[in-house]
Amino acid sequence: MVAVAQHPNIKLYSYSEVVGLSGYIGNFTVTIKEKAKYVDYDKCTGCGLCETKCPSRVKSEFDLGLGERHAIYKAFPQAVPNKPVIDAKNCRKLQTGKCGICEKLCPVKAINFEDQDRFVTEEVGAIVMATGYDLFEWEKAYGEYGYGKYPDVISGLHFERLVNASGPTGGKIKRPSDGKIPQAVAFIKCVGSRDDTKGKSYCSRACCMYTAKHAMQVVEKIPGGEAYVFYMDVRTAGKGYEEFYQRSVERGAQYIRGRVSKIYPRGDRLVVKSEDTLIGKPIEVEVDMVVLATAMVPAAGAEEIAKLVGFSTDKDGFFQEAHPKLQPVETFTGGVFLAGACQGPKDIPDTVAQASAAAVKVVALLSKDQLATEPMIAYVDETKCTGCEFCVPICPYQAISMKPIKTRVHGETVERQVAEVNKGLCQGCGACVAACRPCALNLNGFTNDQIVAEVDALCL
Amino acid sequence: MKRVGVFVCECGTNIGSVVDAAKVAETAMNMPGVAFATSYKYMCSDPGQDLIKKAAEEHNLEQVVVASCSPRMHENTFRKAMSAAGLNPYQFEMVNIREHVSWVHSDKDEATQKAIDLVRMAVAKVVRNRPLQVSYIPITKKALVIGGGIAGMQAALDIAETGHQVILVEREPTIGGKMAQLDKTFPTMDCSA
Amino acid sequence: MSVETSKGWEPKIVAFACNWCSYAGGDLAGLNRLQYPSNVRIIRVPCSGRIDPQFILRAFAMGADGVLVSG
Repeated sequence: MVAVAQHPNIKLYSYSEVVGLSGYIGNFTVTIKEKAKYVDYDKCTGCGLCETKCPSRVKSEFDLGLGERHAIYKAFPQAVPNKPVIDAKNCRKLQTGKCGICEKLCPVKAINFEDQDRFVTEEVGAIVMATGYDLFEWEKAYGEYGYGKYPDVISGLHFERLVNASGPTGGKIKRPSDGKIPQAVAFIKCVGSRDDTKGKSYCSRACCMYTAKHAMQVVEKIPGGEAYVFYMDVRTAGKGYEEFYQRSVERGAQYIRGRVSKIYPRGDRLVVKSEDTLIGKPIEVEVDMVVLATAMVPAAGAEEIAKLVGFSTDKDGFFQEAHPKLQPVETFTGGVFLAGACQGPKDIPDTVAQASAAAVKVVALLSKDQLATEPMIAYVDETKCTGCEFCVPICPYQAISMKPIKTRVHGETVERQVAEVNKGLCQGCGACVAACRPCALNLNGFTNDQIVAEVDALCL
Repeated sequence: MKRVGVFVCECGTNIGSVVDAAKVAETAMNMPGVAFATSYKYMCSDPGQDLIKKAAEEHNLEQVVVASCSPRMHENTFRKAMSAAGLNPYQFEMVNIREHVSWVHSDKDEATQKAIDLVRMAVAKVVRNRPLQVSYIPITKKALVIGGGIAGMQAALDIAETGHQVILVEREPTIGGKMAQLDKTFPTMDCSA
Repeated sequence: MSVETSKGWEPKIVAFACNWCSYAGGDLAGLNRLQYPSNVRIIRVPCSGRIDPQFILRAFAMGADGVLVSG
């Protein structure tokens, strides 16, 4: 992460969003909104003094609500950039005008309550989409697991925060309800994945392995700890994966093949009801905590950014690759490439490989001095164009605009509007040609008379 | 009248075992505009491409139709062969008599008739082709990466390492994404940050 | 107009197929050796959006028995 921030060729816009994009392969213009941070990053040294005295405390998004943060905060100690932002909604000074302790404390006068969102534009030649994933909201779908009303039923990502040394518990596995160390932990796989009725039909790919890791951490970190893994299948396709799973079994993780039908409290513990389909009998396990391996879904806002950049998404909202086998990092939009879980559920090794693949595609493009464009694109016969503009909204690539031309009518020079096709943007789909009433638009390689000739030749 | 050359590929036995390539070529000779037609075992091979070049010179061809596999497979191969033969690469049409004929039909007469119809269609189209020229547009040598998780960071670093400028946009206050939230990761159990 | 086959009369079908999906789907049928009747003739178009209604009418006017638009 630090390598990214320090690289002389990388310009990092943190706390920023892409809000506008125009242009085409090799020539995009992008508008970036830098959200107000209320901290001047040129002055801020990242000392962290401001955070210590901030009186507002709210649940930390980074710790998924398991820990707290202040209104002025860094998400975590190793954050990059290692400088805080002020969360305006929870800042007393910004909400009520009273407080400003951080401003008084800051030794370099970096706090600026007058800060505003800023908009910058940049010119780029290629785009890599790497917007990642979010976790399926199981609380809305799985009533049998308590709709999220039992605090000790958590997701795998919550568990990651619990075992992380820089997490809210300092790496100690403590259950959220009372902070007790759980003796027995149940893991449920495929929550939202491979479940047409309540969730998604696809497999989320990474869960089998991280659940194996979590189960191993329970038996290793908690003296006498028991881990029960409820699974449909164990899928370990990856180098070293099967061995890793076997290791978790050898260390004592107990795998039970069956779907959990209900979780309910008994005393301060939770009862997990399932069937062991290998012996064909119902089974009940009493545990202290339940960890759900929830499905990966596209990150919030993925659909909007796809629309903004101008490429398509698949039925589940993941970004559509140009070809599942042969063009896995390309999109149908020239110059836009995909990396990571935004294209589909993926684990870290696959994500890194795909990111490097996308990088090579970008570099291959940027290494050229100029770009050859496919000549099989639409063209306008200006003498026929009536300037009706019917084609302009039809074009899915925003390649058609109107331009004024001067013509002579009855000996007088008059100016009128005609359509113009941008050679970089036009993808040669021909939708405008079919829509053009005066037949002024035509498509190189697929002209009207060519297709009619084909029809005639076939029907001979 | 245009001068069209028609080349019918047998693709070994892939096409030849179902479609009578010689008969297709023979019939094509009588299509309007066709000046030359032949069949050959592998049109995409070097000798196959040389065949186009030689015929173009000998018969003064302007346009070429190749009946072989899917244009999604070899259209570019033959466009290059066109250039090599001194012809405009867009004075070319391809007929798919493998994926769309020989691989999906077994009746030889029907398949051959379909191949002939498709060739007639392509000839009718190619005589209406115009020579096209590739044009060039400039490139801004800078990349935008949207998202600063592991995927975005890796892509940004790899691009930056080649000497190109990268703009990395992350909507959260810190980069790292989901991966920064993780503990040790499988299968190596090393730290993820 | 019709296609005379060994099975007697068959309708002649003109299909307009998008290069990126249906035409590729036709290729895939070939790769998998899926057998289908030979009385369909595919015209490749760059996109189903390219298809002008007049192409369809033209096909019927010239004697096609059926027209398939796929994209």
